[in-house]
Amino acid sequence: MKLQRTRTYECMCLLDNREVRKGWQPLKDAMLAMFTKHGAKILSGKRWDERRLAYPIKGQHRGTYLLVYFGADTQALAGIRRDLQFSESLLRFLLVECAEVPQSAYEPEGDFDVNNIPADDAPALPPPVEEPPVEVSSTIETGQSTEA
Amino acid sequence: MSTMSQSNGGGSRDGGSRDGGRRSKFGRFGARRREVLPEEPLDYKNVAYLAKFVSANGRIQSRKRTGFSGQNQRLLAAAIKRARLCALMPFVGRM
Repeated sequence: MKLQRTRTYECMCLLDNREVRKGWQPLKDAMLAMFTKHGAKILSGKRWDERRLAYPIKGQHRGTYLLVYFGADTQALAGIRRDLQFSESLLRFLLVECAEVPQSAYEPEGDFDVNNIPADDAPALPPPVEEPPVEVSSTIETGQSTEA
Repeated sequence: MSTMSQSNGGGSRDGGSRDGGRRSKFGRFGARRREVLPEEPLDYKNVAYLAKFVSANGRIQSRKRTGFSGQNQRLLAAAIKRARLCALMPFVGRM
């Protein structure tokens, strides 16, 4: 007899931008179908970010992250992992158990235009330049002299 | 009983004669450090906060530098390792 327990999991999927540019919604639906196929219940699935990777994966320097919260039986997890590993749209995924779904996961997903994704070889944004604070002489503003 | 509980250890802890009767601020194993609590959740998605606890070479700082408790230090290390796997943080080098 197999012991079945339903738990809540969090999956961070790193998607290939070449696939994302073909269309976000079909790709997202295809990704979520990998979970529901094994009986998982999708609690939340939304785009987390599109950013430059810390190191190149499969020749890609940028990627789009899809964050999925779902409830599934512990027995179904192996099948979900196997499907994710075989997916060619995925560069990397991280599947962890989470105690509860954060409230921010239920917020609606923002607009995402795949045409605005930067090129893969786009240089990283330069760090913000800190402007030196402008020193304002109190004697000029107030007209008071510091000398007694 | 063990010998540790019976020995007086030189008298400095109990206000012995060596320090003039004053209670020492140092314990047997040195000064007690104040425990530091994380200001933000130690989550692998919180990359900006995790980056504060990584050296220039990408190594996780020790408890001596972070000041975290053992439990929080383990959470920190696990979060950084997860962020590395997701390519949110580098394995080696500065972000």
